[in-house]
Amino acid sequence: MVRRIVAARVQDGPTADDLVQETLVRVLAAAPRVEPGMLESYAIVTARNVVASLWRERDRHRRNQHRVVDLLPEQTHDDGLVAQEEQNAVVQALARLSERERDTLLAHEVSGQDTRSLAGEIGSTAGAVAAQLNRTRARLRVEYLLALDQAEPPTERCRPVLLALSSGDRRRQREVDAARHLLECDLCARLSEPLMERGQARDDEIRIPIHVDADIVAARQAARELASRLGFSKTDLTLIATAVSEVARNIVRFAGLGEIVVELLDQPRRGVRVVAMDTGPGIADVEQALADGYSTYQGLGLGLPGARRLMDEFAIMTEIGRGTTVTMTKWREER
Amino acid sequence: MTTGPKLVSILRQGSYLIASIHTALDDTQMVRFQEDLVEQIGRYRSRGVIIDVAALDVLDSFGARTLRTIAEMARLRGAVTVIVGIQPDVAFAMVSLGMATGSVVTLLDLEEGLAFLDSRTQRNATSGRPALRTLSRGAP
Repeated sequence: MVRRIVAARVQDGPTADDLVQETLVRVLAAAPRVEPGMLESYAIVTARNVVASLWRERDRHRRNQHRVVDLLPEQTHDDGLVAQEEQNAVVQALARLSERERDTLLAHEVSGQDTRSLAGEIGSTAGAVAAQLNRTRARLRVEYLLALDQAEPPTERCRPVLLALSSGDRRRQREVDAARHLLECDLCARLSEPLMERGQARDDEIRIPIHVDADIVAARQAARELASRLGFSKTDLTLIATAVSEVARNIVRFAGLGEIVVELLDQPRRGVRVVAMDTGPGIADVEQALADGYSTYQGLGLGLPGARRLMDEFAIMTEIGRGTTVTMTKWREER
Repeated sequence: MTTGPKLVSILRQGSYLIASIHTALDDTQMVRFQEDLVEQIGRYRSRGVIIDVAALDVLDSFGARTLRTIAEMARLRGAVTVIVGIQPDVAFAMVSLGMATGSVVTLLDLEEGLAFLDSRTQRNATSGRPALRTLSRGAP
């Protein structure tokens, strides 16, 4: 993988091989400090940094030897172009970091200075430096993607959301309501894919896009399957599946597009949380919608009030013209 | 059957239709099932319909409503409908959801369903079909 990344950026074979070696040595040296599962992304960042530093060196080299004939072949074909674009993106992304962030990152990644000695220099702890490095890497990933896409985020919320996704910080993601933003913002939805791909194989959360009838069944089955891992009784699993079915149908009927996130909880008790959000028209009269027997389509008028009765906690947020978010939780009975 | 190979089967037995739902159906499939069943009631001049929902993981408001609609349409077409095989958990969820299903006859299983239809269609019988429970049950 490292070879692929480096090869995409550096044309001549021997140099690429050297860079791959260098990257691997650094990654291996850093392995004990890196969270398990993060090694791959760490290697990617390191590889990019190694390549970037090579370019900087070459640049300097070229400036100093301007009288020597430049024998480097012109990079004309597509690979060269892609590499060039990626290089520019890395450079731009680096430029968007603050000076301090950049210095620390480069000292760590390129010069191989460890977090403890860095901490000593700036009067901090190794842990704090490591945390800062993680944040910086998260930012670098976001800025790199933005630069590669040559896009400027359309809203003020984009960067915080992308940053929260990039750092894999779930609490922060909730604070900035990342999931809703991804539904609303095409750019972030697109950029979030590579961000979410890296890192986590999160197995305590399932996201199901809701668009057509068949998604209702998929959502309730996924919810049942996930919840069954917590040891819910079969009865409770059916209640959860039924509630998910109702809220999913509301999305299909009224909004046309949305997403259901099912998530296992540890705190304060074990349970399962279902968040159903859509970008629909919103609900004008929530009280009416929560009243039994109120129905705007050919249903029983039981959708929302029914789902509420099936779960332990139920909250609904809605904004006209923007959409609705239903959050409901079922706690596991401790026996 | 017209609904495709595995989702639903509608079998004809004498003057009865026995419809078994084999897997979770989405709303569109549920509506198609309704159309197929009601059409076959007419085609086979059926007097009784049994819908076996034992394989359904969930009977939510739409599913329950569709079953009610089928029963009502069947009644208007001259057939008695019985729902059988609602699982205990599904039943509990339906009650918790607040569903009223009182107007539809529900019975424990296929056997009870056949017995019920026999007693009903015999009482209103014009065909003089004998209500032989053992025969109905034993037939393929």
